[in-house]
Amino acid sequence: MNEKTELVTTKQAGELVHQLPIATPAVDIYENDAEILLHADMPGVVKEDISVHIDNGKMILSGTRRLSVAGASTWREFGDAEFRRTFSVPQSIDVGRVHAELKDGVLRLHLPKSEAARPRQIEIKAG
Amino acid sequence: MARWSDLDQLMGAMELFRNRMNSLFNEGDRPYVPGQVWIGAETFPRTNLSDTGDNLEVVAELPGIAKEDVNVKIQGNYLEISGTRTSDAPEGYAAHRTERGTASFSRSFTLPYDVDAGKVEATLKDGLLRMKLPKSEAAKPRQIAIN
Repeated sequence: MNEKTELVTTKQAGELVHQLPIATPAVDIYENDAEILLHADMPGVVKEDISVHIDNGKMILSGTRRLSVAGASTWREFGDAEFRRTFSVPQSIDVGRVHAELKDGVLRLHLPKSEAARPRQIEIKAG
Repeated sequence: MARWSDLDQLMGAMELFRNRMNSLFNEGDRPYVPGQVWIGAETFPRTNLSDTGDNLEVVAELPGIAKEDVNVKIQGNYLEISGTRTSDAPEGYAAHRTERGTASFSRSFTLPYDVDAGKVEATLKDGLLRMKLPKSEAAKPRQIAIN
C-alpha cells in the first residue's frame, strides 16, 4: 500500500477528533412567582448559533462563537468556543412557553412556571 | 514510523478527551476556556490583539455592557479599557445564583506600535468591543523601491 492510498483510508475512517473548546458561561439565576429567569454571558455569539434543549428535567444550553480573525495574532486570550452548560429544571416549568432573547452577548432565558405550580392564595370563607 | 497525520489525530483525540473530562465538571462556578493563554479568572475583559499591517485590531469581551459604560483611552502606544458592569438584576425576583460580576474594571496595555488616536474606530456588538487602531505613519510598513 503506498502513501497516497493510506492517506485516503485515514480520512475515510471519519473519526471525530476535532471539536471546539468548551467554555462554561457565567450565569445569574433569578426566580419569582411566575418564572425562573436565567442570564448567561455569551460574548460574540449570534442568535442563530444558540440552542436550548430541554428534555426530561435537564436543560442543555449551548452557544457557538466563531470569530473572524484578520492579520497576525500578537496575543490571544480567547478564541472560538462553544459555551455549554447543563442545568436541572424542575418539572413545574411549562416547556412550551420557554422563550429567550439575546442582546449584547447576554442570553436572557425565561422559564415560565406552569399554572398548576404557581403559588396560590387560598381564601378562607367564614363558616 | 510515525506520520504527522497520526500525531495530529492523536492530539485531536486527546483534546476531545480533555473536553469530555471538562464537561464532567461543568457545574464549576468559574468560566474557563481551555487551550487559551492562561490568565487569571479575575482578568476582565479578556482581549485579543492582531496586526493587519496598517492597523492593530483589538477585540475585548464585554458581555452586557452598554457603550456608555465603557471608556477607552489611547496615548501613543498606551491603551486603557475601563468601565463599569452594572447589575441587570430584574426587579421583584429572588436571586439564586450570581456569577456575573458587577464591579468596575480596568485594563491597560502597551501596544507594540504607536497608534493614531484620532482615527481609531470602535464598535460594540454582540458583547464584543472591536477596535481598529491605525498605526502612526512612522510605524506603518513601507514598500521600498529597489533601484
